[in-house]
Amino acid sequence: MSEALVVSHLVLWALVVVLALVVVALTRQIGLLHERIAPVGALALRRGPQVGEATPEMWLPDLSGRRVRVGGADALARRTLIFFLSPSCPVCKTLLPTLERVLAEQSGGVRLVYASDGPSDDHRAFVRERGLDETEYVLSESLGLHFAVSKLPYAVLLDPAGVIRAIGIVNTREHLESLFEADRLGVASLQEYLGGLEVELATRSTDAADRASAASGGRS
Amino acid sequence: MDPVVVGILRATLAFVFAQAALHKLRDHAAFDTIVRGHRLVPDASAPAVTGLLLVGELAAALALLAPGAARLGGGLALTLLTVYSLAIGTNLARGRRDVDCGCLGPGHRQPLTGWLLVRNGLLAALAAACLIPASPRTVSWLDVVSVFAGALVLILVQSAATRLAGMGFRTLAARRSA
Repeated sequence: MSEALVVSHLVLWALVVVLALVVVALTRQIGLLHERIAPVGALALRRGPQVGEATPEMWLPDLSGRRVRVGGADALARRTLIFFLSPSCPVCKTLLPTLERVLAEQSGGVRLVYASDGPSDDHRAFVRERGLDETEYVLSESLGLHFAVSKLPYAVLLDPAGVIRAIGIVNTREHLESLFEADRLGVASLQEYLGGLEVELATRSTDAADRASAASGGRS
Repeated sequence: MDPVVVGILRATLAFVFAQAALHKLRDHAAFDTIVRGHRLVPDASAPAVTGLLLVGELAAALALLAPGAARLGGGLALTLLTVYSLAIGTNLARGRRDVDCGCLGPGHRQPLTGWLLVRNGLLAALAAACLIPASPRTVSWLDVVSVFAGALVLILVQSAATRLAGMGFRTLAARRSA
């Protein structure tokens, strides 16, 4: 009996030590994952206003022609997410439900403004079909020009004072979340985060993509 | 308390403090920077403070391992942990989270979080338990196995927990400082 206890005691210790080693290995692995899945800012293009610049107060027409404020200080001290989209852009449509979920996770309230341009009839049908808030749906070419939006979907995150905290192309949930992550960590962009050689590569490929899209007719 | 339990606690704490002291021995200058980063003592006195902590940690580790000096070792460990917790707590209260804690040694920038206070609290509880004298009983070879294995497991689990506590911001902070 006592021999059996001694053996079980030794076996159990051996197992516990092995388990502890596995736990350490797992935490190391999690650390590696944290390094690979970087909390990045969005992929910002090198044109237009950059992070840290203030956005002037603009009064722009919504779908029914009423003027809506974009930029400047928010009276309710909310952050503003301007989401550039178009009814003809498939990625924008798939991203809309995700957008709502991501915003719901943000603390402190975020005002969501949809921005687009073109004839308002298409947009009316789109807004009805998607159940969007039509009072926060801005139709303005000048807003897109102001932020130098060349690809859709594109998003700009403004702080309550109207200063740009993150800006860039958003294609996935990760990109959207990265805007808020960039705001939280104070990182301007993916490029700033990666640094060094990777910056070079990212800008080069972005520039190449820019040229390609310019050649094929610009805006999607 | 049973000598096996006391043995496990002493061996674990001795390892933790010996490791901390080794980090400071290997890179004294890096720890001066870390001490300055906490903004609790005048900048000029940082090397002296690091030296003092180093001596304290070495003394705690040795006393914990030395037979018959458990109370001294436990007391030293408790004092050091209290000092660290106060330093971390003060900076957290000031809202300065982006301070390198230095808990994982140089080269592993780790920001301050409430978790570090929890960790220090647990370690302090272990140190306090060392102050209770061990009840006398004959120690067999099996007890020695228990002490070694138990201490090994505690050391591994605490290093994993420390790593987890500092995850998230760690990599970003490391890149920023690079």
